Amino acid sequence: MDSTLQRAAELLSQARLPVFGGLFTDVKGAAAALSLARKLGGVVDHAASEGTSRAARVMRETGATPASFGEVRNRADTIVVIGNMPRTRDPKLLDKLFPARATLPRPGDNKRELIVVGAKKGKVPSGVRVTEIGGKNALPELVALLAAAVREGPFDIRDSALAKRILSAGERLRNSAFAVFVYDPAELDEPVLHTVLEAVRHLVKTTRAATLSLSAPGNGEGVNLCSTWTCGLPVRTSFAGDVPENSIWAYEAGRLLRSNEADALVWIDALDGEEATPPTRSFRGVPAVVLSSRPVKAGRDDVVIEVGAAAADHDAAVYLPQIAGIGMVKATAANSKRPTVAEVLSRIEALIDAKGAA
Amino acid sequence: MLVKLEGGRIIDPAHNRDAVGDLYLEDGRIVEKPDGREPDEVHDVSGKIVMAGAIDVHSHIAGSNVTLGRQLMPELPLLAAAEGQPVLPSPAAWGSYATGLRYAQMGYTTVIEPAMIPTHAIQAQTELASIPIIDVAGLVVLGNDDYTLNLLRKGDAKSDELKDYVAWTLAHSKAIGLKVINAGGSEAFKFNARTFDLDEQVPEYGVTSRGIVEAMQKVVADLGVPHPPHVHINNLGIAGNVDTAVATLKATQGRPIHMAHIQFYGYGKEGDKGFSSGAPRLMEAINKHKNATVDVGQVLFGQTITISGDILRQFDGRRAANPKKWIINQGEGNGTGLVPYKYKKKSFVNALQWAIGLEIFLLADDLWRVLFSTDHPNGALFTRYPEIFHLLMDKNERSRWFDALPEATRQVSTLGSISRELTLSELAIITRAAPAKLLGLIDRGHLAPGAIADVAVYTNRRDKTKMFSAADLVFKSGKLVVRKGDVVDVTWGRCYHVDPGFDSQIKRRVKAFYDTYYGADPSWFGVTEAVSDRPDRFATIRCAS
Repeated sequence: MDSTLQRAAELLSQARLPVFGGLFTDVKGAAAALSLARKLGGVVDHAASEGTSRAARVMRETGATPASFGEVRNRADTIVVIGNMPRTRDPKLLDKLFPARATLPRPGDNKRELIVVGAKKGKVPSGVRVTEIGGKNALPELVALLAAAVREGPFDIRDSALAKRILSAGERLRNSAFAVFVYDPAELDEPVLHTVLEAVRHLVKTTRAATLSLSAPGNGEGVNLCSTWTCGLPVRTSFAGDVPENSIWAYEAGRLLRSNEADALVWIDALDGEEATPPTRSFRGVPAVVLSSRPVKAGRDDVVIEVGAAAADHDAAVYLPQIAGIGMVKATAANSKRPTVAEVLSRIEALIDAKGAA
Repeated sequence: MLVKLEGGRIIDPAHNRDAVGDLYLEDGRIVEKPDGREPDEVHDVSGKIVMAGAIDVHSHIAGSNVTLGRQLMPELPLLAAAEGQPVLPSPAAWGSYATGLRYAQMGYTTVIEPAMIPTHAIQAQTELASIPIIDVAGLVVLGNDDYTLNLLRKGDAKSDELKDYVAWTLAHSKAIGLKVINAGGSEAFKFNARTFDLDEQVPEYGVTSRGIVEAMQKVVADLGVPHPPHVHINNLGIAGNVDTAVATLKATQGRPIHMAHIQFYGYGKEGDKGFSSGAPRLMEAINKHKNATVDVGQVLFGQTITISGDILRQFDGRRAANPKKWIINQGEGNGTGLVPYKYKKKSFVNALQWAIGLEIFLLADDLWRVLFSTDHPNGALFTRYPEIFHLLMDKNERSRWFDALPEATRQVSTLGSISRELTLSELAIITRAAPAKLLGLIDRGHLAPGAIADVAVYTNRRDKTKMFSAADLVFKSGKLVVRKGDVVDVTWGRCYHVDPGFDSQIKRRVKAFYDTYYGADPSWFGVTEAVSDRPDRFATIRCAS
């Protein structure tokens, strides 16, 4: 192990711009990666940051209106599910959002209702009225039409049956006591995210409304939060300059590797039950230090370190949608001998420090 | 190692001390002068001012609300720096690491995060553990959560269940005390209320704000938690709300309460503009109610962001967002509102807010009950405390600022007629001795033997801004961490919390509640030693019962 870590330290101290990618790890792993990236003047990115980065940029530009999962489940009377991804990502989503059991007291006396936009309504919990806003139109257009209907603004489409459904959905949303738009930011482009946000902002002038954004895979939210409290910025941040700098385009791990701007990769994939997709096949083309909890195909010169899977081999603080925040998940097989990502990265950092001091 | 601070002017109001003398530190504590032993290290501090490390009783430095603020407004330090505010022009100045260093440079050694969300306590505590040098503690927020409201609605509930629930929550989040934010108001917001007063009822639950605060005061007293309920009362920021503050004080009926950032409640509605200083009336009431302590929440002009669990008020405040972006985050219990805000010197209202805060300090009969805060970052960034110390200690400095205010503000403010200047001892009361006493942190805020060796040494200057911006020396638990305003050693502090006992039945009940309504398990958000890699991170302070 020691010689492997030594090789990793060697590889990384020679790098000009190392990228920390994957980052499928717990909060401690993320904190250790951020610490090492800062020391080396590297870049941090997460393998599922496409959606979270877009959502982060929209938030920086104009704000946000999130609601917690618990609030939506207990109190929403109208839930708008946008696109396919929310239910693809979580097939039981609707059962969770429309629980059969009693809820906390909720505002208004509307029956609970579901509006599905740009997707088939699929299987819906019994007793929930559902409206499908779909057809041939593209998802962004459907969202824009619904937003127009919410505002009682004019719109013109040929499909008169669809137009009627959209108008009626707009009315229902205006008459809701708590309307919530559910989506996965990975499925929506920024203009669509803005459109949804503006619809919510229109509704809250007279009633209660919010958004529920599906959390990214691989503890994407947890890693993003950790990055933000550590350095003031979310992932896709570079520590190469005097001050940390964030850019969704410039500091995307895949782009940095493909363009050869990055000359080393630290790839971290160590969460139970989830697997990060590497930006390049078998990490080819750039020297890599790979921390993985599963067998990996790596290049001959890559340094591969087997680590424990967070939440299986060791307790792990990760983002949990049910509490809309970071929570602690107990290990399922705590007897593992494999080190954690945080332990490995800290030891590599110590070796680099020692080299610097020598 | 025995350290001697030689010949400084020692300001220790907890022991009525303001005299030149020596101070000895050993093994992290202040010690008596040892007989027949030479110190290992001597610092000549003659001519300097020696105080205990400062304690901030209310500063939003960590947790999911603060980090949401960082996400909304990463440019805050850059904007603030561009205005000449003392902030490093880097987004990282918002980060945990910079927070600890900045506080230490000013001589602060203990800071209280006043709004941990129970379900997000792990994030709050993990963030706090990543702030270097300073000791910390968190207040946990209850009072708008459905579990509490349900108990208060039932009336028939055994009164001990609320007591157990509060005790369990304090222990589960490792908090030092209880925070209540616009009691019932955030829950009412969920039912589309847009205002909420002391005697209004929470929809569906029937209980009033007054009832919630009263119940929490009783429970916290019964549990023997040293810090009384830390209450953000109703109607923050509204003209005429001094009535609410006075009514809330009356409602306490002599039971201990801490009222947070009281400046935001010092507003009358007299005059052409319907906004006036309520400070004289407020202070008359506070001076009279000796059961109450307050922190001030002083405002300074410049760019900041407001972060608050008073979602109802923040929702209303969103219209004043500057820059024009805001977050209303509807979560369990209180939720959060984040609204960037720029206090403008040329604004009648902002200028009056500034004056009202200073009036509150200067009209206090008993500074042991009127503590320093800006409600960071809500009134001003914590990096600006030295400017406020200057304003409080130097009436010429005050006049200089006052004269630049709008004519309309100067006409209605009585600040110009107040000549009081706080002394160094008085400053040490509001920034050291009183916060320590209020929090039950009896080992600090003073300089007697046995106290923790948190010591700040300053060069006495007329320019108090300069004096307090950069301490000459700061010792944290006996270690020299700051010299001439620069951090020379990055140490790691501890987190203080209470651990009142409870009937373990409550665990089963809370577990069932979270399972039914949230599909969640309370063990997910229980704070353990594991939030930090340092084995001695947490320290328990004793409860009276």
